[in-house]
Formats: sequence, C-alpha cells, structure tokens
Amino acid sequence: MDQLSQHIVNALMLGGTYALLGIGLTLIFGIMRVVNFTHGELYSFGGYMIFLFTSVLGLNFYAALIVALVLGILLGAVIELVLLRRLRGADIDTTMLVMIGCWMVLQNTEQMIWGGVAKAVVSPLPEEPLVLGSVSVAWLRVFVFVVAALLILATYALIHWTKLGKAMRATFQDRDTASLMGVNINAINTATFALGSGLASAAGALLGPVYLVTPTMGNLAALKAFAIVILGGLGNIQGATVGGFILAFAEEMGAGYISSGYRDAMGFLMIIVVLLFKPTGLFARAERIG
Amino acid sequence: MLEIEKLVCRYGKVEALKSVSLVVRKGELVTLIGANGAGKTTTLRAISGLLPPAGGRTLFQGEDITRASPKHILSRGIAHCPEGRHVFPHMTVQENLEMGCYLRSDATGIAADMERVFESFPRLAERRRQIAGTLSGGEQQMLAIGRALMSRPKLVLFDEPSLGLAPNIVERTFQIIKGIRDQGTTVLMVEQNAYAALDMCDRAYLLESGTLTLEGTGRELIKNPHIQEAYLGG
Repeated sequence: MDQLSQHIVNALMLGGTYALLGIGLTLIFGIMRVVNFTHGELYSFGGYMIFLFTSVLGLNFYAALIVALVLGILLGAVIELVLLRRLRGADIDTTMLVMIGCWMVLQNTEQMIWGGVAKAVVSPLPEEPLVLGSVSVAWLRVFVFVVAALLILATYALIHWTKLGKAMRATFQDRDTASLMGVNINAINTATFALGSGLASAAGALLGPVYLVTPTMGNLAALKAFAIVILGGLGNIQGATVGGFILAFAEEMGAGYISSGYRDAMGFLMIIVVLLFKPTGLFARAERIG
Repeated sequence: MLEIEKLVCRYGKVEALKSVSLVVRKGELVTLIGANGAGKTTTLRAISGLLPPAGGRTLFQGEDITRASPKHILSRGIAHCPEGRHVFPHMTVQENLEMGCYLRSDATGIAADMERVFESFPRLAERRRQIAGTLSGGEQQMLAIGRALMSRPKLVLFDEPSLGLAPNIVERTFQIIKGIRDQGTTVLMVEQNAYAALDMCDRAYLLESGTLTLEGTGRELIKNPHIQEAYLGG
C-alpha cells in the first residue's frame, strides 16, 4: 500500500511535465498540421538555457526559468517564420523532412556548443524531501509539478478566453472560414508554433535540474510527447493532458511492479495498443482543439 | 460599388473563370446563377481574397482589391457567407458571432449588433451557449448569416444560401436576404435555385463554363428562352 501511494505520487509529479510536452505538440499538429520533429530539441534547448543562465551566468533559478520559456517562444517563432511559412501548402512529407533536418541541425549545434558531456543544473530548492506519512517526494519535483500545472492552466485560459485563442480554435476548425472572418492565418501559425515551442522549452528547463542536460535528451522526450499526443487524439488538448498522466502512470507502475528496465518501453507498448484498438486516440469524439 | 474586370481564375491548369466582368451597384441585390461547376463559387472566393485571381481586376468603392488579403477585403466592408454555411462546429453560437466581428473593437457597437442578430433570430438567442455543430441546418444558416452581418458589411456575398435546406427554411432565408438589402446593405448572391433567385433580385448574371453569357434584370432573365429551357425546366 505504501509502495503504491509512493508510485501514485511519483506518477502525478511526472505527469505534469509530460502533459506540458504533449499539449505543445498537439496544438502545433492540430492547428498547423505539422508533425513537429523539433519538439524534443526545444525541450533540450530549455534544458541548456536553464544551465546557461544559472550555472554559467549566475542568474536566479526562477528568473532563468522565465527566460528559458521566453527564449523557447522566440526560437519557435523564428523556426516558423524562416522554415514553415515557406512550406505552407507544401506536401506533408516535404514539411516532415524539413522538420527532421531542423531537428538534426539543432541537436548537432547543441553538441558543438556544449559538447557531449552531460551538464548538471543546481536548483535552489531544499535537498531534504517533503514527507507525508509513508510517502516522500523531493521539493524540486513538487515545484516542477506546480509550475507545469500553472502553465497548462494558462494555456487553457489562453485557448478558451482570449481573442487569440478563439482565432486559433477557429483556424483549427475551419481554416478558410477563419480567414473570411479576418483572421491572419500566418500570424496564428507563428503564435501557435511559438507557444508550443515555449511549452516544450519550459518543460526542458523544469526537468533540467531533475535529470542531466545532454544534447540527446530531447530524443526520448519527443518520442514520449508523440506517444501522449496519439493517446489523447491528435489536436486534443484535454486528451494530451490526460494522456500525459496516463503515460506517467504506466511508466511508474511498469517500472515499479514489472521491471524498472521496462520504464521507457511502457509508453510505446501503450501506443501500439491504442493504435490497434482505437486509432483516433482514447478521447476522440471528433478532432478538435479546446 | 463593386466592379470586376476581366477576372481570370485557375485551379492548377484548369481555368475556372475566363474573363468575367460584372458590376454591383450600391443598394442592389444582384444574383449570379448557373449550373454546378460554372464558376459561381470561384467568383465569390476571388472577390473575398480566398483565391487570388490569375488575371483581371477587382475594384471595391474605387479601391483595387484584386490581390488584397481576405482580412483587408473584410475590413473594407465585404463579408462572405460561404457555401455550406461553415459555422465553426465546436464553438458556441455566441463564439461564432464573436468571430464574425473579429476585426472590430468597438465593444458597445458589437453588443448592440449582437442583440440585433438575436432579435432577428430568436432561435439563436435561445441557443446562445449551444455548440454550433449541434444546430439544425436552418439554424446554422441563420447563424452563418448573423455572423456575416456582425462585421457591419457594406456588401455581403452569399454562396448558395438555399443549399441543403428544407423548403420552408429556403423561403425564410430568401426573405432574410431581401430584408438585408432593404436595410441598405448591398448583396451579391450565388444561387442554383434559379427561379427564386431571379424572382427576388434586382439584376442577374448567368455564368456558364467560366464565362458570363447573359445579363439583365430578374424579370428579363426569367422570360429569356435560353434560361427557361436550361435553368427553369422549360
């Protein structure tokens, strides 16, 4: 029982960042119809930014988090403006190949700048864990969960209650008609890609101090984000949120009760099962944003 | 108000419009009739900027809007109510109407116009918070019309407003469109239902295979032997 509650708490803490990664990717796919292979690189970008601004430049950890989020948004906007805008109307395969190329360029640039040795990020949170009865959890993990949850809620609020969010949903539901309403589709694409990228970068920055920062840390993160998006249904934000937690639970329970060696395999096992039995995702009524 | 000169539109290599010229004057209700695939929808898409034309010119109130963006064209006062209604299916009725005034920022004017739409279409008022995709076809058409009016347009383009609607709703839809003209908004309507369209319009054009072949008042065209034979069932 104690072991179970510990696993549940661990899964919850992990699920927050997974959901964050999944939401960014599902937004980009839903609105832009782009399979974003750079998502993992934005995640590692966030990791390197938190390392750069805290360990190298000595900035306050919390401020560095905000900087990583903002720089992620900017990098996403640049990728959209320089690459994706030119590819509007291009074949989905062409766009995919370009995004794979962009992924490789970003990853190798990171390796060139930072080298292949993993970097450690030090967090200012207390070392001793928070103990609740038989369950103990690191303060850093609690902090990561709370920030991830706040970012998810902020994204929901943006999508549902702002004019930009309404235009994003309209674009997703009917691109031509949104354009007839005066929505600038190019601007919506840039905003969407920037937002999704910012969330990925924030996830990387949050997890930087939990794990180590390496040039290839984004690969597994991206694969997991794709697993979450497929679980939740493409373009479905609620689905991605729930999918993030489901993946975290599957990994945690798989690692705890089957074998810790199978932790990362659980997600892919789940994708296979979902694709076999419910290929539109677990929550798909119809594809939708919001 | 709207002048189209020698407009040419292509989809890939297929020429959908071959030099179309037409005029819509202020306060008129003009219809464009023709068979499926004649280029009616293409004409409207070219006017509202969704399909940049390959040649020719579009002038609206003297301004050249041939290659302007849909946003710019809407901001000049042309609203486009698309074929098949195209309400945003996962948004509420109210959100759909809010999308109609996306470019406006005068909160009091918007609120007043929304009330006016709800007065004209009480069914929409009852269903304010309902998801638009769950409305009936007729209700969706009312919503699409209301949404187009929310931009306070000077000219509204209607594309096949009667398509797929029950006969009594078709009748009501045409009444509403006439009402819009009567209140001073200019209308350009594309319609397959040739008799109803010719009966209600001030002037009409016949579009055949991407070319305008006839022009005149509704009454003239109703009596035209070619139209009678090909479009009014003899």
